[in-house]
Amino acid sequence: MFMLRTTRYRKRWTLLLTLGLLLVRFTPLGAQAGGDVAIVVHPDVPIDNLTVNELRRLLLGDREFWPASVRVTLLIRAPIAHERDVVLKSVCQMTEAQFRQHWIGKVFRAETALAPKIAYSSEMAVDLVNRIPGAITFMDASQVGKGLKVVKIEGRLPGERGYELH
Amino acid sequence: MASRLGDSVTLRSALVVAVSLCAPGRAASQEDTARTSSATAAQSTHADQTGRDAPATTEYPAFHLSGFGDVAFSDQNKSEGPRGFSEGQFVLHFASALSPRVNFFGELSFTPRADAGSGTPPATGFNAEVERVIIRFDRNDQLKVSFGRYHTPVNWWNTAFHHGQWLQTTISRPEMVQFGGRFIPVHFVGALAEGTFPAAGWNLNYQAGIGNGRGNVISRAGDAGDNNGRPAWLLNVFVSPDRVFGLQVGGSLYFDRISLAGRPEFSERIAAAHAVWHREDPEVIAEIADVHHQELGGLLAASSLAYYIQTAYRLPSFGRLWKPYYRFEHIDIDAADPVFAGVPNLDGSTVGVRYDISTYAAIKSEVRVRRRVSDQPRMDGWFLQISFTF
Repeated sequence: MFMLRTTRYRKRWTLLLTLGLLLVRFTPLGAQAGGDVAIVVHPDVPIDNLTVNELRRLLLGDREFWPASVRVTLLIRAPIAHERDVVLKSVCQMTEAQFRQHWIGKVFRAETALAPKIAYSSEMAVDLVNRIPGAITFMDASQVGKGLKVVKIEGRLPGERGYELH
Repeated sequence: MASRLGDSVTLRSALVVAVSLCAPGRAASQEDTARTSSATAAQSTHADQTGRDAPATTEYPAFHLSGFGDVAFSDQNKSEGPRGFSEGQFVLHFASALSPRVNFFGELSFTPRADAGSGTPPATGFNAEVERVIIRFDRNDQLKVSFGRYHTPVNWWNTAFHHGQWLQTTISRPEMVQFGGRFIPVHFVGALAEGTFPAAGWNLNYQAGIGNGRGNVISRAGDAGDNNGRPAWLLNVFVSPDRVFGLQVGGSLYFDRISLAGRPEFSERIAAAHAVWHREDPEVIAEIADVHHQELGGLLAASSLAYYIQTAYRLPSFGRLWKPYYRFEHIDIDAADPVFAGVPNLDGSTVGVRYDISTYAAIKSEVRVRRRVSDQPRMDGWFLQISFTF
Protein backbone atom coordinates (compact mmCIF):
# COMPACT_ATOMS: atom_id res chain seq x y z
CA MET A 1 0.00 0.00 0.00
CA PHE A 2 2.76 2.42 1.05
CA MET A 3 4.85 1.51 -2.02
CA LEU A 4 1.89 2.17 -4.33
CA ARG A 5 1.33 5.65 -2.83
CA THR A 6 5.01 6.52 -3.17
CA THR A 7 5.02 5.50 -6.82
CA ARG A 8 1.95 7.73 -7.47
CA TYR A 9 3.66 10.70 -5.86
CA ARG A 10 6.76 10.11 -7.94
CA LYS A 11 4.72 9.95 -11.16
CA ARG A 12 2.86 13.14 -10.21
CA TRP A 13 6.06 15.04 -9.47
CA THR A 14 7.74 13.76 -12.63
CA LEU A 15 4.73 14.94 -14.67
CA LEU A 16 4.76 18.37 -13.03
CA LEU A 17 8.48 18.72 -13.54
CA THR A 18 8.18 17.76 -17.21
CA LEU A 19 5.35 20.23 -17.73
CA GLY A 20 7.38 22.93 -16.01
CA LEU A 21 10.40 22.31 -18.21
CA LEU A 22 8.23 22.32 -21.36
CA LEU A 23 6.66 25.59 -20.23
CA VAL A 24 10.06 27.21 -19.81
CA ARG A 25 11.31 25.80 -23.10
CA PHE A 26 8.41 27.01 -25.23
CA THR A 27 7.55 30.26 -23.51
CA PRO A 28 7.89 33.16 -26.03
CA LEU A 29 11.16 34.99 -25.40
CA GLY A 30 9.32 38.26 -25.22
CA ALA A 31 7.70 37.14 -22.01
CA GLN A 32 11.18 36.97 -20.41
CA ALA A 33 12.01 40.54 -21.34
CA GLY A 34 11.45 41.63 -17.74
CA GLY A 35 14.89 40.21 -16.95
CA ASP A 36 16.58 41.97 -19.84
CA VAL A 37 18.07 45.42 -19.55
CA ALA A 38 17.18 47.82 -22.35
CA ILE A 39 19.49 50.59 -23.54
CA VAL A 40 17.43 53.71 -24.13
CA VAL A 41 18.55 56.94 -25.79
CA HIS A 42 17.06 60.36 -26.44
CA PRO A 43 14.86 60.16 -29.56
CA ASP A 44 17.18 62.44 -31.52
CA VAL A 45 20.31 60.34 -31.00
CA PRO A 46 21.19 59.08 -34.50
CA ILE A 47 22.03 55.56 -33.38
CA ASP A 48 19.95 52.40 -33.74
CA ASN A 49 22.51 49.75 -32.89
CA LEU A 50 25.55 49.51 -30.63
CA THR A 51 28.07 46.76 -30.12
CA VAL A 52 28.88 45.74 -26.56
CA ASN A 53 32.30 47.31 -27.00
CA GLU A 54 30.77 50.62 -28.12
CA LEU A 55 28.38 50.51 -25.20
CA ARG A 56 31.27 49.89 -22.82
CA ARG A 57 33.14 52.89 -24.17
CA LEU A 58 30.05 55.03 -23.62
CA LEU A 59 29.53 53.78 -20.07
CA LEU A 60 33.18 54.30 -19.19
CA GLY A 61 33.27 57.78 -20.68
CA ASP A 62 35.81 56.87 -23.35
CA ARG A 63 33.39 58.02 -26.01
CA GLU A 64 31.84 61.41 -25.25
CA PHE A 65 30.11 62.34 -28.48
CA TRP A 66 27.45 60.87 -30.75
CA PRO A 67 27.71 61.37 -34.50
CA ALA A 68 27.03 65.00 -35.42
CA SER A 69 29.06 65.96 -32.33
CA VAL A 70 26.18 65.78 -29.86
CA ARG A 71 27.60 65.26 -26.38
CA VAL A 72 26.69 62.05 -24.62
CA THR A 73 24.92 62.50 -21.29
CA LEU A 74 25.16 59.31 -19.30
CA LEU A 75 22.32 58.59 -16.90
CA ILE A 76 22.98 55.58 -14.71
CA ARG A 77 20.85 53.92 -12.09
CA ALA A 78 21.83 54.28 -8.45
CA PRO A 79 23.82 51.46 -6.81
CA ILE A 80 22.00 48.23 -5.89
CA ALA A 81 19.60 48.62 -8.84
CA HIS A 82 19.48 45.36 -10.77
CA GLU A 83 20.05 47.15 -14.08
CA ARG A 84 23.24 48.72 -12.78
CA ASP A 85 24.56 45.36 -11.64
CA VAL A 86 23.84 43.81 -15.04
CA VAL A 87 25.53 46.60 -16.97
CA LEU A 88 28.58 46.74 -14.70
CA LYS A 89 29.14 43.00 -14.82
CA SER A 90 28.28 42.13 -18.40
CA VAL A 91 29.37 45.30 -20.19
CA CYS A 92 31.96 47.08 -18.07
CA GLN A 93 33.32 43.86 -16.53
CA MET A 94 33.83 45.72 -13.30
CA THR A 95 32.75 45.58 -9.70
CA GLU A 96 30.91 48.52 -8.18
CA ALA A 97 34.13 49.68 -6.49
CA GLN A 98 36.12 49.43 -9.72
CA PHE A 99 33.48 51.41 -11.61
CA ARG A 100 33.55 54.18 -9.03
CA GLN A 101 37.34 54.26 -9.03
CA HIS A 102 37.34 54.36 -12.81
CA TRP A 103 35.18 57.49 -12.85
CA ILE A 104 37.12 59.19 -10.05
CA GLY A 105 40.25 58.57 -12.09
CA LYS A 106 38.57 59.86 -15.20
CA VAL A 107 37.73 63.18 -13.55
CA PHE A 108 41.16 63.27 -11.89
CA ARG A 109 42.91 62.95 -15.25
CA ALA A 110 40.85 65.89 -16.53
CA GLU A 111 39.35 63.66 -19.21
CA THR A 112 35.87 64.80 -18.26
CA ALA A 113 34.40 67.38 -15.93
CA LEU A 114 31.10 65.58 -15.52
CA ALA A 115 30.73 62.15 -14.00
CA PRO A 116 27.61 60.12 -14.91
CA LYS A 117 24.35 61.45 -13.56
CA ILE A 118 22.35 59.28 -11.22
CA ALA A 119 18.77 58.26 -11.97
CA TYR A 120 17.13 57.09 -8.76
CA SER A 121 14.27 55.28 -10.49
CA SER A 122 13.20 54.04 -13.89
CA GLU A 123 10.60 56.82 -14.00
CA MET A 124 13.30 59.41 -13.47
CA ALA A 125 15.50 57.78 -16.13
CA VAL A 126 12.60 57.79 -18.61
CA ASP A 127 11.80 61.40 -17.84
CA LEU A 128 15.36 62.64 -18.27
CA VAL A 129 16.38 60.54 -21.25
CA ASN A 130 13.48 62.07 -23.15
CA ARG A 131 14.37 65.61 -22.11
CA ILE A 132 18.15 65.80 -22.34
CA PRO A 133 19.59 65.74 -25.89
CA GLY A 134 22.26 63.07 -26.24
CA ALA A 135 21.14 61.21 -23.12
CA ILE A 136 21.56 57.46 -22.77
CA THR A 137 20.36 55.28 -19.95
CA PHE A 138 19.47 51.67 -19.21
CA MET A 139 16.40 50.21 -17.55
CA ASP A 140 14.50 46.99 -17.04
CA ALA A 141 13.01 46.09 -20.42
CA SER A 142 9.60 45.51 -18.85
CA GLN A 143 9.46 49.19 -17.88
CA VAL A 144 10.15 50.55 -21.34
CA GLY A 145 7.06 52.48 -22.40
CA LYS A 146 5.85 53.74 -25.73
CA GLY A 147 7.78 56.54 -27.34
CA LEU A 148 11.15 55.53 -25.94
CA LYS A 149 13.97 54.81 -28.35
CA VAL A 150 15.49 51.45 -27.52
CA VAL A 151 18.87 50.73 -29.08
CA LYS A 152 19.76 47.29 -30.39
CA ILE A 153 22.79 45.65 -28.86
CA GLU A 154 24.75 43.56 -31.33
CA GLY A 155 21.69 43.73 -33.60
CA ARG A 156 19.23 42.42 -31.03
CA LEU A 157 16.49 44.02 -28.98
CA PRO A 158 15.57 43.00 -25.43
CA GLY A 159 13.61 39.77 -25.44
CA GLU A 160 15.18 38.48 -28.62
CA ARG A 161 17.21 35.32 -28.50
CA GLY A 162 20.88 36.04 -27.88
CA TYR A 163 20.35 39.45 -26.29
CA GLU A 164 23.31 39.92 -23.98
CA LEU A 165 22.11 42.24 -21.24
CA HIS A 166 20.21 40.26 -18.67
CA MET B 1 65.67 83.70 -36.41
CA ALA B 2 63.78 81.75 -39.04
CA SER B 3 63.13 79.04 -36.52
CA ARG B 4 61.73 81.53 -34.00
CA LEU B 5 59.56 83.01 -36.70
CA GLY B 6 58.29 79.52 -37.50
CA ASP B 7 57.51 78.85 -33.84
CA SER B 8 55.70 82.15 -33.59
CA VAL B 9 53.60 81.31 -36.64
CA THR B 10 52.82 77.88 -35.18
CA LEU B 11 51.74 79.40 -31.88
CA ARG B 12 49.56 81.92 -33.69
CA SER B 13 47.99 79.10 -35.70
CA ALA B 14 47.28 77.21 -32.49
CA LEU B 15 45.68 80.33 -31.05
CA VAL B 16 43.47 80.73 -34.12
CA VAL B 17 42.35 77.11 -33.83
CA ALA B 18 41.57 77.67 -30.15
CA VAL B 19 39.57 80.81 -30.82
CA SER B 20 37.59 79.04 -33.53
CA LEU B 21 36.89 76.23 -31.07
CA CYS B 22 35.88 78.74 -28.42
CA ALA B 23 33.21 79.97 -30.81
CA PRO B 24 31.68 76.73 -32.06
CA GLY B 25 29.16 78.59 -34.13
CA ARG B 26 25.62 79.74 -33.90
CA ALA B 27 24.11 76.29 -34.11
CA ALA B 28 26.18 74.97 -31.25
CA SER B 29 25.44 78.02 -29.12
CA GLN B 30 21.75 77.58 -29.72
CA GLU B 31 22.09 73.92 -28.88
CA ASP B 32 23.80 74.79 -25.58
CA THR B 33 21.07 77.26 -24.71
CA ALA B 34 18.32 74.85 -25.64
CA ARG B 35 19.92 72.09 -23.64
CA THR B 36 20.32 74.22 -20.55
CA SER B 37 16.72 75.31 -20.77
CA SER B 38 15.55 71.75 -21.27
CA ALA B 39 17.65 70.52 -18.36
CA THR B 40 16.31 73.25 -16.10
CA ALA B 41 12.77 72.32 -17.06
CA ALA B 42 13.52 68.66 -16.43
CA GLN B 43 14.92 69.43 -13.01
CA SER B 44 11.93 71.41 -11.84
CA THR B 45 9.46 68.94 -13.31
CA HIS B 46 11.19 66.01 -11.71
CA ALA B 47 11.59 67.74 -8.38
CA ASP B 48 7.85 68.32 -8.38
CA GLN B 49 7.17 64.70 -9.15
CA THR B 50 9.50 63.08 -6.67
CA GLY B 51 9.87 65.67 -3.97
CA ARG B 52 13.62 65.13 -4.14
CA ASP B 53 16.37 67.24 -5.68
CA ALA B 54 17.21 65.96 -9.12
CA PRO B 55 20.97 65.97 -9.67
CA ALA B 56 20.64 64.43 -13.13
CA THR B 57 20.46 67.76 -14.91
CA THR B 58 23.18 70.16 -15.93
CA GLU B 59 23.33 73.86 -15.32
CA TYR B 60 26.51 75.66 -16.26
CA PRO B 61 28.98 76.12 -14.78
CA ALA B 62 28.69 72.66 -13.27
CA PHE B 63 31.31 72.75 -10.52
CA HIS B 64 32.67 69.69 -8.78
CA LEU B 65 35.20 69.68 -5.92
CA SER B 66 37.09 66.59 -4.86
CA GLY B 67 40.39 65.81 -3.27
CA PHE B 68 43.01 63.36 -2.15
CA GLY B 69 44.98 63.04 1.05
CA ASP B 70 47.18 60.62 2.92
CA VAL B 71 48.97 60.06 6.19
CA ALA B 72 52.10 57.90 6.25
CA PHE B 73 54.54 56.23 8.59
CA SER B 74 58.03 55.09 7.67
CA ASP B 75 60.93 53.29 9.28
CA GLN B 76 64.19 53.27 7.30
CA ASN B 77 67.75 52.20 7.98
CA LYS B 78 69.00 55.12 5.87
CA SER B 79 66.82 58.12 5.51
CA GLU B 80 65.48 58.95 2.05
CA GLY B 81 62.55 61.17 2.84
CA PRO B 82 60.64 61.51 6.09
CA ARG B 83 60.84 59.15 9.05
CA GLY B 84 58.09 58.39 11.52
CA PHE B 85 54.65 59.84 10.88
CA SER B 86 54.25 62.30 8.06
CA GLU B 87 51.47 64.08 6.31
CA GLY B 88 51.24 63.47 2.64
CA GLN B 89 50.09 65.90 0.01
CA PHE B 90 46.70 67.44 0.54
CA VAL B 91 45.29 67.86 -2.94
CA LEU B 92 42.18 69.66 -4.12
CA HIS B 93 40.66 69.11 -7.55
CA PHE B 94 38.34 71.56 -9.19
CA ALA B 95 36.39 70.36 -12.22
CA SER B 96 33.84 72.56 -13.88
CA ALA B 97 31.91 72.13 -17.10
CA LEU B 98 31.42 75.64 -18.44
CA SER B 99 29.25 74.45 -21.33
CA PRO B 100 28.73 71.10 -23.07
CA ARG B 101 31.94 71.76 -24.99
CA VAL B 102 34.11 73.70 -22.58
CA ASN B 103 35.63 72.27 -19.40
CA PHE B 104 37.90 73.71 -16.76
CA PHE B 105 40.09 71.63 -14.50
CA GLY B 106 42.33 72.82 -11.67
CA GLU B 107 44.50 71.09 -9.12
CA LEU B 108 46.00 72.62 -6.02
CA SER B 109 48.41 70.80 -3.73
CA PHE B 110 49.69 71.51 -0.24
CA THR B 111 52.94 69.67 0.42
CA PRO B 112 54.57 69.42 3.87
CA ARG B 113 58.20 70.50 3.83
CA ALA B 114 60.89 70.70 6.45
CA ASP B 115 62.07 74.01 5.02
CA ALA B 116 58.82 75.72 4.05
CA GLY B 117 59.04 78.49 6.61
CA SER B 118 61.48 81.34 7.09
CA GLY B 119 64.07 81.75 9.84
CA THR B 120 67.10 79.78 10.91
CA PRO B 121 66.68 76.89 10.99
CA PRO B 122 63.74 77.07 8.58
CA ALA B 123 60.42 76.13 10.09
CA THR B 124 58.32 73.27 8.81
CA GLY B 125 55.15 74.07 6.94
CA PHE B 126 53.26 73.54 3.72
CA ASN B 127 54.07 74.62 0.21
CA ALA B 128 51.07 75.50 -1.93
CA GLU B 129 51.38 74.75 -5.62
CA VAL B 130 49.10 75.13 -8.62
CA GLU B 131 49.68 71.71 -10.12
CA ARG B 132 47.30 71.88 -13.05
CA VAL B 133 45.15 74.51 -14.68
CA ILE B 134 43.49 73.34 -17.87
CA ILE B 135 40.81 74.89 -20.03
CA ARG B 136 39.63 72.49 -22.71
CA PHE B 137 37.47 72.92 -25.79
CA ASP B 138 35.85 69.76 -27.11
CA ARG B 139 34.97 69.70 -30.78
CA ASN B 140 34.17 65.99 -30.79
CA ASP B 141 35.90 62.76 -29.76
CA GLN B 142 38.51 63.25 -32.45
CA LEU B 143 39.58 66.76 -31.51
CA LYS B 144 39.85 68.39 -28.10
CA VAL B 145 42.16 71.35 -27.65
CA SER B 146 43.31 72.64 -24.29
CA PHE B 147 45.65 75.19 -22.78
CA GLY B 148 47.28 75.33 -19.39
CA ARG B 149 49.59 73.45 -17.05
CA TYR B 150 49.51 69.66 -17.35
CA HIS B 151 51.04 66.50 -16.09
CA THR B 152 53.30 65.84 -19.08
CA PRO B 153 51.80 62.97 -21.08
CA VAL B 154 55.11 61.28 -21.82
CA ASN B 155 54.68 58.78 -19.03
CA TRP B 156 51.59 56.73 -18.20
CA TRP B 157 51.92 56.88 -14.41
CA ASN B 158 52.48 60.61 -14.48
CA THR B 159 49.07 61.26 -15.98
CA ALA B 160 47.11 58.31 -14.59
CA PHE B 161 47.85 58.76 -10.89
CA HIS B 162 50.17 61.66 -10.12
CA HIS B 163 48.87 63.30 -6.91
CA GLY B 164 46.06 60.79 -6.54
CA GLN B 165 47.78 58.56 -4.00
CA TRP B 166 44.58 56.64 -3.41
CA LEU B 167 44.26 55.88 -7.12
CA GLN B 168 47.60 54.09 -7.32
CA THR B 169 48.01 50.61 -5.90
CA THR B 170 51.34 51.32 -4.19
CA ILE B 171 52.46 53.94 -1.67
CA SER B 172 55.42 55.16 -3.69
CA ARG B 173 55.65 56.28 -7.27
CA PRO B 174 58.30 54.87 -9.58
CA GLU B 175 61.35 57.02 -9.05
CA MET B 176 61.55 57.97 -12.72
CA VAL B 177 58.40 60.07 -12.14
CA GLN B 178 58.85 61.05 -8.52
CA PHE B 179 57.73 64.48 -7.30
CA GLY B 180 60.52 66.95 -7.88
CA GLY B 181 62.40 64.43 -9.98
CA ARG B 182 64.48 65.43 -12.98
CA PHE B 183 64.45 62.35 -15.17
CA ILE B 184 61.12 63.12 -16.84
CA PRO B 185 59.60 66.59 -17.13
CA VAL B 186 56.67 66.04 -14.79
CA HIS B 187 54.78 69.21 -15.71
CA PHE B 188 54.19 70.94 -19.00
CA VAL B 189 52.88 74.44 -19.68
CA GLY B 190 51.40 75.02 -23.10
CA ALA B 191 48.72 73.68 -25.43
CA LEU B 192 47.55 70.18 -26.12
CA ALA B 193 45.44 68.66 -28.90
CA GLU B 194 44.04 65.22 -28.23
CA GLY B 195 41.47 62.81 -29.51
CA THR B 196 40.51 59.25 -30.16
CA PHE B 197 39.59 57.30 -33.29
CA PRO B 198 37.80 53.93 -33.32
CA ALA B 199 40.34 52.51 -35.81
CA ALA B 200 38.46 49.25 -36.32
CA GLY B 201 38.31 48.51 -32.63
CA TRP B 202 41.88 49.48 -31.82
CA ASN B 203 40.78 52.81 -30.32
CA LEU B 204 43.73 54.91 -31.37
CA ASN B 205 44.34 57.86 -29.04
CA TYR B 206 46.73 60.74 -29.62
CA GLN B 207 47.99 63.75 -27.69
CA ALA B 208 50.14 66.36 -29.38
CA GLY B 209 51.47 69.31 -27.46
CA ILE B 210 53.61 72.39 -27.65
CA GLY B 211 54.81 74.30 -24.63
CA ASN B 212 57.55 75.91 -22.63
CA GLY B 213 59.39 72.74 -21.68
CA ARG B 214 61.76 72.58 -18.74
CA GLY B 215 62.76 75.67 -16.84
CA ASN B 216 66.23 76.70 -15.66
CA VAL B 217 65.70 74.27 -12.81
CA ILE B 218 64.93 71.25 -14.96
CA SER B 219 62.59 69.63 -12.46
CA ARG B 220 60.29 72.62 -12.92
CA ALA B 221 58.15 73.58 -15.88
CA GLY B 222 58.41 77.01 -17.48
CA ASP B 223 55.47 78.43 -15.54
CA ALA B 224 56.35 82.07 -16.01
CA GLY B 225 57.47 81.78 -19.61
CA ASP B 226 59.91 79.89 -21.78
CA ASN B 227 63.50 80.30 -20.63
CA ASN B 228 65.03 79.97 -24.08
CA GLY B 229 62.31 80.81 -26.60
CA ARG B 230 62.43 77.31 -28.06
CA PRO B 231 59.21 75.43 -27.40
CA ALA B 232 59.05 71.82 -26.34
CA TRP B 233 57.07 69.36 -28.46
CA LEU B 234 55.46 66.11 -27.50
CA LEU B 235 53.48 63.36 -29.12
CA ASN B 236 51.82 60.53 -27.26
CA VAL B 237 50.01 57.74 -29.08
CA PHE B 238 48.36 54.68 -27.59
CA VAL B 239 45.79 52.03 -28.41
CA SER B 240 43.30 50.28 -26.16
CA PRO B 241 41.85 47.48 -28.30
CA ASP B 242 38.26 46.40 -27.78
CA ARG B 243 39.17 42.76 -28.21
CA VAL B 244 41.51 42.85 -25.22
CA PHE B 245 39.59 45.06 -22.81
CA GLY B 246 41.94 46.35 -20.14
CA LEU B 247 45.04 46.56 -22.30
CA GLN B 248 46.71 49.82 -23.24
CA VAL B 249 49.92 50.02 -25.24
CA GLY B 250 51.59 53.18 -26.43
CA GLY B 251 54.62 55.32 -26.88
CA SER B 252 55.62 58.95 -26.75
CA LEU B 253 58.24 61.37 -27.96
CA TYR B 254 59.31 64.61 -26.35
CA PHE B 255 61.71 67.23 -27.74
CA ASP B 256 63.02 70.25 -25.87
CA ARG B 257 65.99 72.54 -25.52
CA ILE B 258 67.51 72.80 -22.06
CA SER B 259 69.21 75.96 -20.86
CA LEU B 260 71.16 75.71 -17.63
CA ALA B 261 72.89 78.65 -15.97
CA GLY B 262 76.60 78.73 -16.81
CA ARG B 263 76.46 75.74 -19.16
CA PRO B 264 76.02 75.25 -22.90
CA GLU B 265 72.55 74.46 -24.16
CA PHE B 266 71.44 70.89 -24.73
CA SER B 267 68.78 69.41 -26.93
CA GLU B 268 66.65 66.80 -25.20
CA ARG B 269 64.85 63.87 -26.78
CA ILE B 270 62.78 61.50 -24.71
CA ALA B 271 61.46 58.28 -26.19
CA ALA B 272 59.12 56.35 -23.95
CA ALA B 273 56.80 53.37 -24.14
CA HIS B 274 54.26 51.75 -21.89
CA ALA B 275 52.12 48.64 -21.68
CA VAL B 276 49.38 48.51 -19.09
CA TRP B 277 46.90 45.82 -18.17
CA HIS B 278 44.75 47.82 -15.81
CA ARG B 279 42.30 45.18 -14.70
CA GLU B 280 43.10 44.04 -11.21
CA ASP B 281 43.34 40.29 -11.74
CA PRO B 282 46.14 40.84 -12.47
CA GLU B 283 47.31 44.44 -12.83
CA VAL B 284 50.49 44.90 -14.83
CA ILE B 285 52.18 48.22 -15.54
CA ALA B 286 55.44 48.44 -17.45
CA GLU B 287 57.15 51.60 -18.64
CA ILE B 288 60.49 52.46 -20.15
CA ALA B 289 62.04 55.80 -21.08
CA ASP B 290 65.26 56.79 -22.76
CA VAL B 291 66.42 60.38 -22.28
CA HIS B 292 69.03 61.61 -24.75
CA HIS B 293 70.91 64.89 -24.33
CA GLN B 294 73.06 66.40 -27.07
CA GLU B 295 75.24 69.43 -26.47
CA LEU B 296 74.43 72.12 -29.01
CA GLY B 297 77.54 73.04 -30.99
CA GLY B 298 79.50 70.38 -29.13
CA LEU B 299 80.23 66.68 -29.22
CA LEU B 300 78.88 65.68 -25.83
CA ALA B 301 75.98 63.24 -26.09
CA ALA B 302 74.52 61.11 -23.34
CA SER B 303 71.64 58.70 -22.93
CA SER B 304 70.04 57.58 -19.69
CA LEU B 305 67.54 54.78 -19.30
CA ALA B 306 64.86 54.05 -16.74
CA TYR B 307 62.18 51.41 -16.53
CA TYR B 308 59.91 49.66 -14.08
CA ILE B 309 57.45 46.83 -14.04
CA GLN B 310 54.73 46.52 -11.45
CA THR B 311 52.37 43.63 -10.90
CA ALA B 312 49.46 43.33 -8.52
CA TYR B 313 46.58 40.97 -8.00
CA ARG B 314 43.30 41.63 -6.23
CA LEU B 315 42.57 38.49 -4.24
CA PRO B 316 39.13 37.12 -5.08
CA SER B 317 38.46 36.04 -1.49
CA PHE B 318 38.05 38.21 1.65
CA GLY B 319 35.60 40.50 -0.13
CA ARG B 320 38.15 41.44 -2.82
CA LEU B 321 39.69 43.90 -0.36
CA TRP B 322 43.31 42.73 -0.43
CA LYS B 323 45.72 43.45 -3.24
CA PRO B 324 49.36 42.34 -2.93
CA TYR B 325 51.87 43.93 -5.28
CA TYR B 326 55.47 43.98 -6.39
CA ARG B 327 57.50 46.48 -8.42
CA PHE B 328 61.03 46.38 -9.76
CA GLU B 329 62.58 49.58 -11.04
CA HIS B 330 65.88 50.51 -12.57
CA ILE B 331 67.48 53.85 -13.39
CA ASP B 332 70.78 54.06 -15.23
CA ILE B 333 72.11 57.61 -15.52
CA ASP B 334 74.91 58.31 -17.98
CA ALA B 335 77.74 59.62 -15.82
CA ALA B 336 78.84 61.91 -18.67
CA ASP B 337 75.52 63.73 -18.75
CA PRO B 338 75.89 67.17 -17.11
CA VAL B 339 72.11 67.76 -17.30
CA PHE B 340 71.52 64.83 -14.98
CA ALA B 341 74.47 65.54 -12.68
CA GLY B 342 73.48 64.42 -9.20
CA VAL B 343 70.57 62.25 -10.34
CA PRO B 344 71.20 58.87 -8.67
CA ASN B 345 71.07 55.43 -10.21
CA LEU B 346 68.69 52.91 -8.76
CA ASP B 347 67.99 49.23 -8.56
CA GLY B 348 64.99 48.83 -6.35
CA SER B 349 62.24 46.47 -5.37
CA THR B 350 58.97 47.32 -3.66
CA VAL B 351 56.72 44.66 -2.23
CA GLY B 352 53.54 45.35 -0.35
CA VAL B 353 49.84 44.92 0.08
CA ARG B 354 46.87 47.24 -0.23
CA TYR B 355 43.73 46.81 1.84
CA ASP B 356 40.64 48.79 0.89
CA ILE B 357 38.98 49.75 4.14
CA SER B 358 36.14 51.42 2.26
CA THR B 359 35.28 52.31 -1.32
CA TYR B 360 37.20 55.56 -0.93
CA ALA B 361 40.01 54.77 1.52
CA ALA B 362 42.85 52.27 1.60
CA ILE B 363 45.65 51.17 3.91
CA LYS B 364 48.87 50.22 2.17
CA SER B 365 51.99 48.66 3.63
CA GLU B 366 55.18 48.14 1.68
CA VAL B 367 58.85 47.31 2.03
CA ARG B 368 61.38 49.00 -0.23
CA VAL B 369 64.82 47.63 -0.92
CA ARG B 370 67.04 50.01 -2.85
CA ARG B 371 70.61 50.10 -4.00
CA ARG B 372 72.09 53.28 -5.46
CA VAL B 373 75.63 52.14 -6.15
CA SER B 374 76.55 48.52 -6.75
CA ASP B 375 79.23 48.25 -4.05
CA GLN B 376 77.32 50.28 -1.47
CA PRO B 377 74.96 48.77 1.14
CA ARG B 378 71.24 48.61 0.44
CA MET B 379 68.71 50.99 1.87
CA ASP B 380 65.75 49.21 3.37
CA GLY B 381 62.56 50.69 4.69
CA TRP B 382 59.07 49.81 5.82
CA PHE B 383 56.23 52.17 4.95
CA LEU B 384 52.60 52.42 5.92
CA GLN B 385 50.05 54.77 4.41
CA ILE B 386 46.39 55.57 4.75
CA SER B 387 45.20 57.23 1.57
CA PHE B 388 41.77 58.44 0.64
CA THR B 389 39.71 60.50 -1.72
CA PHE B 390 36.84 62.73 -0.75
